[in-house]
Amino acid sequence: MTQEFEGKNEEEAINKAVEELQLERDDFDVEILESSKWGLFKRNNVKIRVHVNENGLVNTNSEEIHQQVSSEGDFEEKVIEFLQTILEKMGYLADVQVAYRRDNKIGLNIISKHSAIIIGKKGKNLDALQLLVNVYAGMLDETKRVVLDIENYRIRHEEQLIRLAYKTAEQVKKNRKSKLLEPMNPFERRLIHSALNDILDIETNSEGDGLYKQVRISYRTLGKGKKTQKA
Amino acid sequence: MNIKELLMTMATSLVDHPDDVEVNVVEAESSVVLELKVNPEDIGKVIGKEGKTAKAMRTILSASASKLNKRSILEILE
Repeated sequence: MTQEFEGKNEEEAINKAVEELQLERDDFDVEILESSKWGLFKRNNVKIRVHVNENGLVNTNSEEIHQQVSSEGDFEEKVIEFLQTILEKMGYLADVQVAYRRDNKIGLNIISKHSAIIIGKKGKNLDALQLLVNVYAGMLDETKRVVLDIENYRIRHEEQLIRLAYKTAEQVKKNRKSKLLEPMNPFERRLIHSALNDILDIETNSEGDGLYKQVRISYRTLGKGKKTQKA
Repeated sequence: MNIKELLMTMATSLVDHPDDVEVNVVEAESSVVLELKVNPEDIGKVIGKEGKTAKAMRTILSASASKLNKRSILEILE
């Protein structure tokens, strides 16, 4: 019989096993599945598999152990390997680490000297990599989503878009002339809409077709007595 | 040629019949043409919804080819 446990360190994981299985430490063998190799936020989490010695025989069949590697670890490993192989074949040496695991979302962080080219113009390359990784990940487990980041590009980009939204809104207010932003994907547009949602004299609309529409920021002309008019 | 391997890696990972993936590279001075052939059942997989997967592969190939100062052209053969 085998069972898996997780803990901040090896000892804690083993103690958990002792407690839950109601066994003595000598009654089972411990295999360390995941040490601190993932780094960053999960630095101290250790995953172990416990092999309970039921017939006085300790399970040492490594092939069997290999096949039993928890699906989560297996999934992550495969996705990381896929991404790493692509980056390597592209000619850009990079390291990939798990940044976070949230529900069915896994955040992967790319560490590389070539971050500029891996991000690409307006994040084009990073988005393309993310899409491919997700197609691949979807074949392994269709419930999971993978988010790629490099040097906090995602957050920096979001902040930059919100700053752009405010700046443009100020100009529109001053000149009373609408402005059309460059094409953006739905996520980026939503950021702009929600950033300017509470600004009274400003309204935002998406124009165009397809995935990449443009947001128009315009001055809300509150006509005489038409204060309730909504866009 | 690494770019051939790059396309091979991407294509074989996304299809149901990896053994049927073929890549032919035609190199010119300033460009590199990659012809991708997959099992007819897998054509949809390498193209993706609204050509999304093919577009992503083109973007990645371009990023790699730019290292050699070349343009890359991906042709998916039917």
